[in-house]
Amino acid sequence: MQNIYLTIVFAPLVGAVIAGLFGVGRRVAHTVTIAGVGISFALSAYAFYKLVFAGGEVFNETLYTWAVAGNVKLEVGFLVDSLTALMMVVVTFVSWMVHFYTIGYMRDDPGYQRFFSYISLFTFSMLMLVMSNNFLQLFFGWEAVGLVSYLLIGFWFTRETAIYANLKAFLVNRVGDFGFLLGIAAILMFFDSLNYTEVFAQVDVHKDTTMQIISGYDWSVMTVICILLFIGAMGKSAQVPLHVWLPDSMEGPTPISALIHAATMVTAGIFMVARMSPLFELSEVALSFVLVIGAITALFMGFLGLVQNDIKRVVAYSTLSQLGYMTVALGASAYAAGIFHLMTHAFFKALLFLGAGSVIIAMHHEQDMRKMGGLWKYMPITYITALIGSLALIGFPGFAGFFSKDAIIEAVHHADRAGATFAYYAVLFGVFITALYSFRMFFLVFHGKERMDEHTRSHLHEPSAVVTWPLIMLAIPSVFIGGLTIEALLYGEYFQNAIFVTPEHNFFNPADYHGVWGFVVHALGQPPVWLAGAGFGTAYYLYMSNTELPGRIKDKLEWLHGILVDKYGFDRFNEWFFAGGSRGIGSFLWQQGDAKIIDGGLVNGSAKTVNWFSGVIRHMQTGLLYHYAFSMILGLALLLGIFVLW
Amino acid sequence: MTLIELNMLMPEIILLSMASLILIIDAFLPDDLRDLTYQLSQGTLIGVGLVIFSTYPQQTELALHGMFVTDPMGATLKLFIVGIVFFTFLYSRSYLKERNFFKGEYFTLGLFATLGMLIMVSAHNMLVIYLGLELLSLSLYAMVAMHRDSQSATEAAMKYFVLGAIASGILLYGMSMLYGMTGTLDLNELSQSLSTLDEYHTALVFGLVFIVVGLAFKLGAVPFHMWVPDVYQGSPTSVTLFISSAPKLAAFAMVMRLLVDGMGHLHSDWQDMLILLSILSMAIGNIVAISQTNIKRMLAYSTISHVGFLLLGILTADKAGYAASMFYVVSYALMTLGGFGMILLLSRAGFEAENISDYKGLNERNSWFAFIMLILMLSMMGVPPMLGFWAKFSVVMQLINSGMLWLAIVAVLFAVIGAFYYLRIIWMMYFEKPEETAPIEDTMDMRVAVSANGLLVLGLGLMPHTLMTICLSAFSLV
Amino acid sequence: MIKFTFYFFSIILIFAAMRLITVRNPVHAALFLVLSFFSSASIWLLLHAEFLAIALILVYVGAVMVLFLFVVMMLDINVTMIRDGFARYMPVATLVGVVILVEMGLVIFSHLPEVQPVVMAADVSNTKMLGQVLYTIYVYPFEIAAVILLVAMVAAIALTHIPRTRMKYQTPSHQVNVRRQDRVRLVKMPTEPKD
Repeated sequence: MQNIYLTIVFAPLVGAVIAGLFGVGRRVAHTVTIAGVGISFALSAYAFYKLVFAGGEVFNETLYTWAVAGNVKLEVGFLVDSLTALMMVVVTFVSWMVHFYTIGYMRDDPGYQRFFSYISLFTFSMLMLVMSNNFLQLFFGWEAVGLVSYLLIGFWFTRETAIYANLKAFLVNRVGDFGFLLGIAAILMFFDSLNYTEVFAQVDVHKDTTMQIISGYDWSVMTVICILLFIGAMGKSAQVPLHVWLPDSMEGPTPISALIHAATMVTAGIFMVARMSPLFELSEVALSFVLVIGAITALFMGFLGLVQNDIKRVVAYSTLSQLGYMTVALGASAYAAGIFHLMTHAFFKALLFLGAGSVIIAMHHEQDMRKMGGLWKYMPITYITALIGSLALIGFPGFAGFFSKDAIIEAVHHADRAGATFAYYAVLFGVFITALYSFRMFFLVFHGKERMDEHTRSHLHEPSAVVTWPLIMLAIPSVFIGGLTIEALLYGEYFQNAIFVTPEHNFFNPADYHGVWGFVVHALGQPPVWLAGAGFGTAYYLYMSNTELPGRIKDKLEWLHGILVDKYGFDRFNEWFFAGGSRGIGSFLWQQGDAKIIDGGLVNGSAKTVNWFSGVIRHMQTGLLYHYAFSMILGLALLLGIFVLW
Repeated sequence: MTLIELNMLMPEIILLSMASLILIIDAFLPDDLRDLTYQLSQGTLIGVGLVIFSTYPQQTELALHGMFVTDPMGATLKLFIVGIVFFTFLYSRSYLKERNFFKGEYFTLGLFATLGMLIMVSAHNMLVIYLGLELLSLSLYAMVAMHRDSQSATEAAMKYFVLGAIASGILLYGMSMLYGMTGTLDLNELSQSLSTLDEYHTALVFGLVFIVVGLAFKLGAVPFHMWVPDVYQGSPTSVTLFISSAPKLAAFAMVMRLLVDGMGHLHSDWQDMLILLSILSMAIGNIVAISQTNIKRMLAYSTISHVGFLLLGILTADKAGYAASMFYVVSYALMTLGGFGMILLLSRAGFEAENISDYKGLNERNSWFAFIMLILMLSMMGVPPMLGFWAKFSVVMQLINSGMLWLAIVAVLFAVIGAFYYLRIIWMMYFEKPEETAPIEDTMDMRVAVSANGLLVLGLGLMPHTLMTICLSAFSLV
Repeated sequence: MIKFTFYFFSIILIFAAMRLITVRNPVHAALFLVLSFFSSASIWLLLHAEFLAIALILVYVGAVMVLFLFVVMMLDINVTMIRDGFARYMPVATLVGVVILVEMGLVIFSHLPEVQPVVMAADVSNTKMLGQVLYTIYVYPFEIAAVILLVAMVAAIALTHIPRTRMKYQTPSHQVNVRRQDRVRLVKMPTEPKD
């Protein structure tokens, strides 16, 4: 098995290297990368089959010891259990589909090879992340997927907005990563190991250990570690308040929005928390924190989807909101439900993004929904698949999203943790909002008046097969995957060895489960389904039958609309406080410290004239030496003052 | 003086004799045979390196009335110094030739500076440390000033000289204070008598402050760093390369000899001073580097921040910490060598690749060099699996081990801030359109050397235990 | 008597040093420096360090200072320019100077080991003693010092030497053999018209 796993990881890397570094042609670039990821997918599916159906062993081995410093070992190793196997299949499958789709989407782009190289590199990094058996490799994968994500957000680097978005993603993720790194450091400090198995084996030892960060206050070590790790997840999985980078990341090409910013990378945080379930289970405080953050994200990011006019941004806010749902599931100790939603979401959200991309291709890269409408008759395949994706997203009974979302809501309902009631109502109302913005987008794009200009209309047609084929391939699991897997994932023993839930937190009891139809029938009597229906109805009323009304509502509630368009002011606050503040400090140091004292007189005159040279330098030179020498004397005086006389 | 003692001094003796010989030969060489000077110098360095390697000591031995010491740490540092100077000369040759000051003095003064460094590394007496330092400094001043037609070089030399003289004076004052208190210049005797002088603690610390200031100047730690950016930027790049790499190893040795060997008894005092210097250096170095547009100046501030990190290991005042610092200084020297080597490679007569914008679109012009530069920048940033990561990792680990968690957090914070300006160069190389489109003029030896340098940084990062073992064994920890 | 001599020379030394940095005329400053060297040499003599005292006078006063005076006279330094900014920096410089002085004073007067000067017999020549250790115990530093001087020489030559091709020098035979038409050209010009 070891060689199979190695091949799974390295096949995409080889593809990326060939496409990126050897200056190959377009055809070669997409052939090698698709082949690489294809191999990876096929082997992942095989490994999944072996592990789940053929009763294979969990693979947990260290393959290479990189360095040993004291008793800390830095290693590369794989842990492949049911959780990992599931992630591997999802990641490689979606990635493979996106590779095909890219052939059509990026057809005319000069950076074709570079793009393929990046997405294959991404697949490699993501696999390293999910297959890791230790924190160091996890962090490597974590940073590597981040790096590729920044590179891809800034893929069209000639656009100012893309560069800005890229910088923003980088900076916001630094905050998260800092927490994550501190969390790993804390684990190293207390557990003296970076290996998952070794750490999890000792959790009971440190269950009640406390530490003092500010002297005098005892903190539970577990809570501190879990919250720090979760801060990392907040950055990567875009939870409030570190969510600001995700909507802007839509500046990148659509295929990567589907792959990275919807299906895989942003769910790394969810995966990580589920993987760390033995730690999180020990800290009630941390779980409550997770729960509340998730609930806020799920509800309030959904609102923002209502006022967006850019088709990709609507999907982006929907992604934020759905990530909030997954986080809520984690916070309610329903890790399995979180991962379940992660999987179904990966399929239908990738589908929605690729569908949006298909519309964007047909509209000649126009993304404003106000200039679309009535597209259903021009592009039937996209229309049908987008309908399937939307139904799955709002949780139409029987579709994939229905099962996972319902499971989360049920789990939160039954959780009795601080913040659980708030979370329950947040996710419940979120269902209504989800249906409303999803079908608002759907109706605006595919139905109603045709608002595009004549030239665009005459060119409207379904894109080529490389674009539609992945849509169909993703539509199939978007319908069926939920019903097929719910029993095994939630009520069965699938995650038995991978996720740890203390019995009193466990809500999913096999005895309560009466088959897929039983689940559906039970749900029909519950609020979520009716709320989703209400959302759909409202959307229909507002955007199909009484199309004047939304404008009037907007005028009436101008203040509310303003807040939503302003995205609750997060961006402005960040810009003012963090960006402005650090720019202020920087320019102060630069102008006062460097420009005035040092640069002011220095020979940076390659651009200046010779006259300026001799004049200013001669004049400034004495001043400079005074200053330099003086600063040395001053430093001496200070050191003497501090250390001799103190 | 016995023959055995002479044997221990063999590297220094060979270097001195050869440097003098080359000086004479060079005076009679016609200009078109100037390459001979270069070849002889490189040959000398190889020879000296071999001699150091073959006489690698297993334990500490004193010679010449306790003024000269050979120990594993010293021999290791000497080997690296000689090797780095070898690379420096290699990188400088075509740069000097293109600019018409391919003069023998560059190499002879370089050899004398190397001699000064070797003397500093194995000095065991304050007088000898001081003389070694002066030999090194004087050669460096002259090398900076060598490009006589360049006003900036002359100015840089002037500043370096004056400030260096002040620093030497301060160091000397500190040494004479200690001499006055203890009546000895020998480090062993100093160390012994310090332990009997506890009641005069204040006066001893007074002398210590002066010595620390002198050392801080040599290393370029804040607030004694003012010369660094100006001298780095003003000097011809080949000289900047020289100043920024090997002498830092010698300065590290000087710190070890004076503070650890000589004044280990006062470690609780110099520990606090170094903490202060280190935090200031990391802060000023990393923050000010962000606003630089000149890459030499940026690397100067980057050096200042690296010095801050380097001090972190020393200030733990235990052997593992010293080993971590030694690992750091060696890694730093290798990285900075590569960085300036890259500047030299991209420059040609009439065009100095000094501005950060000159790196725009390097990937399109030559993707291999862009890749090497990428390795170097990532390494300076401290990204795994590059060498620089291990350097930062090991000093931070030692800090945590000795219970200074807060300082470790501060260090990591500044390392994160520092990532920004290295990333900017990576950004320019890969995502901007080239402004400069002329082909890169390089020579074969240069190309091979820079590539080897970059790959060494990557390779040692993948196998950090090789270098780490060397550093640990230098402090007999393995 | 010894005490009186010590204080006498010390006061002269401090006075000379103060004047050295306050006088306007650089030549006077150099002369005050000579005076301060003399006074410190005298103090060394009181300590029976006659070799050092004589070396100080011979080397510094006899050679270095004379050279220095030549340079000062030749360069014709503009005094006012050097003093430009003096007043501006004065307050802050004084402050720091005083701070350092106070710090030093506090340390030096606080608590120092009492050291009695070693008194040598009258017939011991410290020149001879220096000579005995200089080439034996201290041979290593001595050699290094020699190398430093060599480097100084190399540096001085490298920095000032101008190769023969660029040098400007006279050739007397050319000067003697010069002809009138090489130097003078007669030009005929129309007279200026009267306005």
